[in-house]
Amino acid sequence: MSAPPVVPASPIAGRQGNYAGGVTRLVAFAADVGASWGAFTLSLAGITFAIQLVTGTKIDLTQGRFSALFVVVAFVGWEFVYFAYQWALSGKTVGMALLGIRVVTTEGDAISGRQAVIRTVALPMSFLFFGLGFLGILLNKDRHAWHDRLARTVVVYSWDARAARLRWLARQDPVAPL
Amino acid sequence: MSPLPGGNRMEQLVESIAERVVGLVIEAIDINALVGKVDMDALLAKVDVDAIVSKVDVDGLIDRVDVEKIIDRVDVDKIVSRVDVDQIVERVDVEKIIERVDVEKIIQRVDIDALVEQTELGTIIARSTSGVASEALDLVRAQGVGLDDFVARWVNRVLRRSADDWPAGPPALVAALAVVETPSTQTGADR
Repeated sequence: MSAPPVVPASPIAGRQGNYAGGVTRLVAFAADVGASWGAFTLSLAGITFAIQLVTGTKIDLTQGRFSALFVVVAFVGWEFVYFAYQWALSGKTVGMALLGIRVVTTEGDAISGRQAVIRTVALPMSFLFFGLGFLGILLNKDRHAWHDRLARTVVVYSWDARAARLRWLARQDPVAPL
Repeated sequence: MSPLPGGNRMEQLVESIAERVVGLVIEAIDINALVGKVDMDALLAKVDVDAIVSKVDVDGLIDRVDVEKIIDRVDVDKIVSRVDVDQIVERVDVEKIIERVDVEKIIQRVDIDALVEQTELGTIIARSTSGVASEALDLVRAQGVGLDDFVARWVNRVLRRSADDWPAGPPALVAALAVVETPSTQTGADR
């Protein structure tokens, strides 16, 4: 009879509610940029195809000054809706949900719609000066970026690492008591 | 009574003589030798068995037999216990039986859709798929948390500072989760 495998204690167990780190937030943001870009591009292609179908003339919305301006404004509006709506609704975007993090108030409560809007509008500010606004995520004790400070929000792990670890253990030995 | 006088006595005398004679004759005859001289084949050849059987009412005979009563009297357990099943099984040529079974025909008669519905195979597949997806997601998240810790540790090392006294998260949220789950032993140094 072989001895059960020794499973080392996970250092990430019980992190739910802790301030989220820079890498997780960066990956979540990249996933959101990809998702929002993909959705916008698909929508633009759909609109172009529909116009072409109805009018019979081939158009390119990225060509011409007016069309390009329209696309830029639409894109900015879409990005605003994408982030503000999701943060106001559940405190997390698609990318954040994938990585298991969420936005809460500095006290740990759900953020309001006003905070979601402020955070979305302030987000581009953190990109100024070569992304200086994001440095606070690495340096501050509460991992504040500029847009977090303005909206009085923080980002925490919502992912239940302990439950994930129990699921992993259950998969290793289905008959073993948890 | 005899009509002649003294007839009764005469009659009795004749009877006694006859009995005596018959007794003597029987004693004198060798029955076995007599039977041995009888041609049984010739005798049986003269018997019309079909005619005899045709006169027998077989249905009537069967009707009079109480089959249930006979079955009740049969001890099936005793009969079965005397049967050597292993010996019977050994004599069965299973390979030959299998060769004669048309598996293709049997499979064609199986209603796969009904089988899938009854076994909820779809649910099993869905559970398996969601399990794999959940596992992959846990892995990505765990990698992210691990890298967060790695970066935070190096930043603190470069800045020559200690994060032991730093809060792990929003105080109210950490306290609430600590009550719901087990008490957290995480400190800033772990981050």
